[in-house]
Amino acid sequence: MTCILAFDTAGPYCAAALLKDVDVVTKSEEMARGQAERLMTMLQEFLQDNSTSWADLTAIGVGIGPGNFTGIRIGVAAAKGLSMGLSIPLHGVDGFEQRKRLGLAPVISAPRQQIYIFDHGVPRMISSQNSSLAPSQPDPDQIARAIAEDTVARGLDAPNPAAPLYIKPADAAPARDSAPPIFP
Amino acid sequence: MSADVTILGIESSCDDTAAAVVQRANGIGQVMSSRVFGQTDLHSDFGGVVPEIAARAHAEKLDHCIELALRDADARLCGMDAIAVTCGPGLIGGVVAGVMMAKGLSAASGLPLYGINHLAGHALTPRLTDNLGFPYLMLLISGGHCQFLIVEAADRFRRLGGTIDDAPGEAFDKVARLIGLPQPGGPSIEAAARSGDPMRFALPRPLLDRPGCDMSFSGLKTAALRARDAILQEEDGLTEKDQSDLAASFQRAVADVLAEKSRRALAEFQTTTGTTGAFCVAGGVAANQGIRSALQDIADAAAARFVAPPLTLCTDNAAMIAWAGIEQMALRAPDGLTLSARPRMPLDTVSQSMLGSGKKGAKA
Repeated sequence: MTCILAFDTAGPYCAAALLKDVDVVTKSEEMARGQAERLMTMLQEFLQDNSTSWADLTAIGVGIGPGNFTGIRIGVAAAKGLSMGLSIPLHGVDGFEQRKRLGLAPVISAPRQQIYIFDHGVPRMISSQNSSLAPSQPDPDQIARAIAEDTVARGLDAPNPAAPLYIKPADAAPARDSAPPIFP
Repeated sequence: MSADVTILGIESSCDDTAAAVVQRANGIGQVMSSRVFGQTDLHSDFGGVVPEIAARAHAEKLDHCIELALRDADARLCGMDAIAVTCGPGLIGGVVAGVMMAKGLSAASGLPLYGINHLAGHALTPRLTDNLGFPYLMLLISGGHCQFLIVEAADRFRRLGGTIDDAPGEAFDKVARLIGLPQPGGPSIEAAARSGDPMRFALPRPLLDRPGCDMSFSGLKTAALRARDAILQEEDGLTEKDQSDLAASFQRAVADVLAEKSRRALAEFQTTTGTTGAFCVAGGVAANQGIRSALQDIADAAAARFVAPPLTLCTDNAAMIAWAGIEQMALRAPDGLTLSARPRMPLDTVSQSMLGSGKKGAKA
């Protein structure tokens, strides 16, 4: 029996979906902070409420962003730990795939009037002011459902490595004080 | 005699991604495996560890690192008795990645989860390497930390003093950059200092004129910058001789400060505990031979045993986290899945905090 737990913490929420064969149930909680403390207990309660144990799971699906950097890592790290600990496949699903599966525009809002888009096969961040593209924002339950369904659709034999999709490079400035010339 | 235990340890609080398996059998600790993935190359262009770059690397590499540690130990997760993970203090993005990975492993395997203070890992290492008894004095000197601790038990630490600003490892890195030496600064300054004159530049010995064991390294770094700029006013650059003299003068100043403060800390330790005890060092700066021999002399003069764990267990690693987990298992309940990752997490919760005692709380 297929039994997939999917979850996402790339936005201000913890969202989860449990897919058993064809039935999907979802659960989400909005939170601006505290995802790292809440995620695992929420998943545990969610499984219990649906008479499922960790050992029943056959695969894990996780949202890999783009979104909040720390949020993405909270979800992906937990998913990697679960996948390794249960010896079951892990499948990462990015926000563009989630939206496609939900029939929404693959445009995602980014900080400071910017948007993430999928442009000729390359994910990019652009200014939203010069663009006619409007971001879509599915609710967290839908996102978790989309991740679960995508995980099934991709097949469990060839899981992807679930690498976070940050798109935006890390903020880092080169060292300010340059070294003086050195003579022998 | 306590029961035999085997623990998986995970560490990701700064710029080393690490996992290890440690076993205690018949009361003796043994490192079954210890993997450390450094990130020096990733940060080398930026003159310091960039938190977001570090966090990304941890999230990417940690699972692989854990798999390798288990494989090296010829062990499986289900063969562990518990999982221990650094939950602070440190760069929060990396700590969160480690804590969440550990929670996933714990939920999946049913193994108890222990959140470990990174500093406790360093402070308890001499018990793993040398089976040292309590109490003992620990000087932790690294790129992020600098403090004297009386280690009274696996969960009881008393801080005698520490840096009020920069950690010495940080000062080594910054001074190395100022005088054109490569990163990491510790080894390159030590190498350059070998041929240098430590008396050429009169650098200050901060806080030696004040009682107690607190230290300061920020002003020393600035003094090194002034000394360099004085040369650059006369010349177009530094000669290799200038470099090595600056390196030697700086290293000697750090060693002098650490030695004198260690002498005081050891005297205070011996008075309060009524034992000769042992003086232990840990952290990357303890790898510096000039500093190490100065500290050894202080221990010898006080008739205390000097213990410096091997370098691989002195710098950041996960074996020390696993070992601290083994020690603390006997003393407290596991933390469970609500464990928080904390950027600030003082080891001594009784003494007044030193750094960042504002709204966000003490750093260490």
